[in-house]
Amino acid sequence: MSERHYRAFSFRRINAMTVNTLTELTRLKVFYVLLIFALLLIGSSMFMAQFTFQQEFQILKDVSLGAMSIFTSLLAIVATARLIPQDIEDRTVYTILAKPVPRFEYLLGKIAGVLLLLAISTLVMGAAFLLVLYAREQTVLHATLRHMSGAPREQIDDALRVIRSSALNADIFPGIIIIYLKACLLAALTLFVSTFATTNIFTIVVMAFVYFIGHLQATAREYWLQEHGASWITRVFLAVVALLFPDLQAFNLVDDIVVGTAISLALFFKTAVLGIFYTSIYTLLAAFVFYGKEL
Amino acid sequence: MIRVALVVAALLAVGAIKLPVERDLAARHRQEHFRGVEFNLDLREKLGQLGFIAALSGFRAIVADGLFIQAHVAWERTEWGRVLLLFRHVTTLQPRAILFWDMAAWHMAWNASVAAMNDRTQPRLALRVKAQREYFGLGKDFLERGIKNNPDRPDLYEALARLYKEKYKDHEHASEFFAKAAALPGARTYDRRFSAYELSYCEGRELEAYQRLRQLYDEGEKERLPTLITRLKFLQTKLNIPPDQRIPDSNR
Amino acid sequence: MSDPAVAVRGLTKIFPVPLHRQSIVAVRDLDLRIESGEVYGLLGPNGSGKSTTLKIILGLVSPTHGCTEIFGRDSRLVESREAVGFLPENPYFYKYLTGEETLRFFGRLCGLRGAPLKNRINELLDLVGLTKARKRRLGTYSKGMLQRIGLAQALIHDPRLVVLDEPTAGVDPAGSREIRDLILDLRRRGITVLLSSHLLAQAQEICDHVGILADGVLVREGRLQELIAIENQTEFVIADASTQLINEIESFINRSDAKLIERRKSTTTLERLFLDATKNDEARMTKPE
Repeated sequence: MSERHYRAFSFRRINAMTVNTLTELTRLKVFYVLLIFALLLIGSSMFMAQFTFQQEFQILKDVSLGAMSIFTSLLAIVATARLIPQDIEDRTVYTILAKPVPRFEYLLGKIAGVLLLLAISTLVMGAAFLLVLYAREQTVLHATLRHMSGAPREQIDDALRVIRSSALNADIFPGIIIIYLKACLLAALTLFVSTFATTNIFTIVVMAFVYFIGHLQATAREYWLQEHGASWITRVFLAVVALLFPDLQAFNLVDDIVVGTAISLALFFKTAVLGIFYTSIYTLLAAFVFYGKEL
Repeated sequence: MIRVALVVAALLAVGAIKLPVERDLAARHRQEHFRGVEFNLDLREKLGQLGFIAALSGFRAIVADGLFIQAHVAWERTEWGRVLLLFRHVTTLQPRAILFWDMAAWHMAWNASVAAMNDRTQPRLALRVKAQREYFGLGKDFLERGIKNNPDRPDLYEALARLYKEKYKDHEHASEFFAKAAALPGARTYDRRFSAYELSYCEGRELEAYQRLRQLYDEGEKERLPTLITRLKFLQTKLNIPPDQRIPDSNR
Repeated sequence: MSDPAVAVRGLTKIFPVPLHRQSIVAVRDLDLRIESGEVYGLLGPNGSGKSTTLKIILGLVSPTHGCTEIFGRDSRLVESREAVGFLPENPYFYKYLTGEETLRFFGRLCGLRGAPLKNRINELLDLVGLTKARKRRLGTYSKGMLQRIGLAQALIHDPRLVVLDEPTAGVDPAGSREIRDLILDLRRRGITVLLSSHLLAQAQEICDHVGILADGVLVREGRLQELIAIENQTEFVIADASTQLINEIESFINRSDAKLIERRKSTTTLERLFLDATKNDEARMTKPE
């Protein structure tokens, strides 16, 4: 065979790892989560017949986006937690790293596979949600038109405008992107934890803890930076929480977006950059720990 | 060991970098009315352990919806005290949801107040009227707090104007809040008109009302609705507007 | 190029035991030199440091002291692994991949693609006798089949050195004979093979050189034939000799200063007996156990 020139960094190798990770996760049937999402969506929209359309739309949006948030987060944590420990346990990691594959590329391929899976899941859930919402909106629009057939044009226009505005606002899309970025952050953090964890369970428990603390981080941070009366032990504790944990609350924008709060481009970009920053940092730290790991 | 120390150091360094960014983001959230949920013991007491944890873990909206559905059930059973309590929790969790403030106020000022007035267990009319007024007050309170949380959106101003108009018969306040609603982006086209109608009922403000109605009339056919013309004619007579300045009679 | 396939110099590996003050010395001051083109057997009981040595050579574990090189390149460098194929002990590959997908995955990791990769996969599946099972998921493979697909992936990028960790562990005699034949085939093609084993009879059949490890120390090393030869003894194996001829030889020996130690009938090996007895069931070998 002809002599190949070795490259220190190869997208082709990373791509091979990514595709393989995605295949692994797909064949493990993690997509069943999406089925549960669909059932939830259909179930909740059937249950809401008793409400007015505004109430119905709002609950539909809250439940769908809340479920998207929890499912992507869960998927990120559970899917990532097993990747490395499983490879080590099955010794597949030896076979892979005995090939000319740098450890960084191995990790990058793994995380990219998870991020791809999350992107597909988010897209599928988002599409299902929009479809149901659109269908409900059309039903309500037609019913309203029927009821108001004799009313003046202006009144009909007002009514239709109210229906349309309470169904879908375009700000939901950046909201969904932020949900995805939050899941990416969690996946990268899980990868980092799994590089020094010995079991999947340990990683998942740690991540559940991180998830909860992460949502309180903002409170701890503000308390630490503003209150000066607390004892030094409390202050050290708060400082550790504020410095070590990501502010997950910063990514929960969709609750307010659903009820009509407009998101500015600046806020969206800053949040997105923070999410990408965290994802990259945790991946780099994971690589750093993994480089020193004795396999 | 060195590696562990390096990782912790890196995490702390990253923490120091991200801290100002996160604070800036939080400030921006407040500025753009992203309320999030605040950690306080009052809320904890209201929601119970599970609801509180859920609300803090990013399921605020779903918890609020759950409570809203409970409030809906309580309404069907006419348990007004429970409706009030549940709507207070719902609006605490989702202060940016116009719908919840609006529903809360509607239940209090329209439904509970009527129920209080028709309360057969209370024979004394004076006490029934008092109870009714109290429910008006609760409705007004929800709308005022709702406006405080959503000063940028017209819906609750409009709802408050209706409350003043229909429940308190306070045309001056009704006109004021219709006008406030009309000034905000996304307001209904009739808000401006309604504000002027309400003003036309206010003793001593007839001239101002006339000028506003006339201005609407002059904007063209689309504003020349029957009520507007009736009110305008009423004011023309009351203010003794010279015939040549009056609107033509052909307008009914 | 005079670089040996593998050079190990002064290699020591100490594993610290967390929360304990002691540590485990897996390999102690090891020197090895494996010349290009030979089959080298690293022998020793379980826990003698064979696997650790292999992992250090492959850069999976870092040495505490000393260094290892593959064709003159430091093992810690990723590019040193371009020339190596590795088959770990009892390999588990991704169960959800088919045999063909497994080879494609590893081929891509080595930078292969397109028609050359496809051809190489076909060639290797043929070599290890898994062409019929190429579309089956690895979850349904028998141990012997896993070992063979493992060998195929180790060879995917046509390496100059193949490292095999206990290649016949847990494989039935027919399977282990096939693997042995494959190793001999590799040697014929000039590929260096480094294998670890505790199955001495098999190692004896295929190794040119052996090193014996005990408690992390290399206690014997050299050419197999030289190591196992008994200097003052000689064996004859004679076919169709009459009793008279044998008696004459024996009396001739008795008359000299030499001493006859043993006289017996030649025997076949138990392995050959087993293989002959089960030969007719060849078809069964490709089916899962």
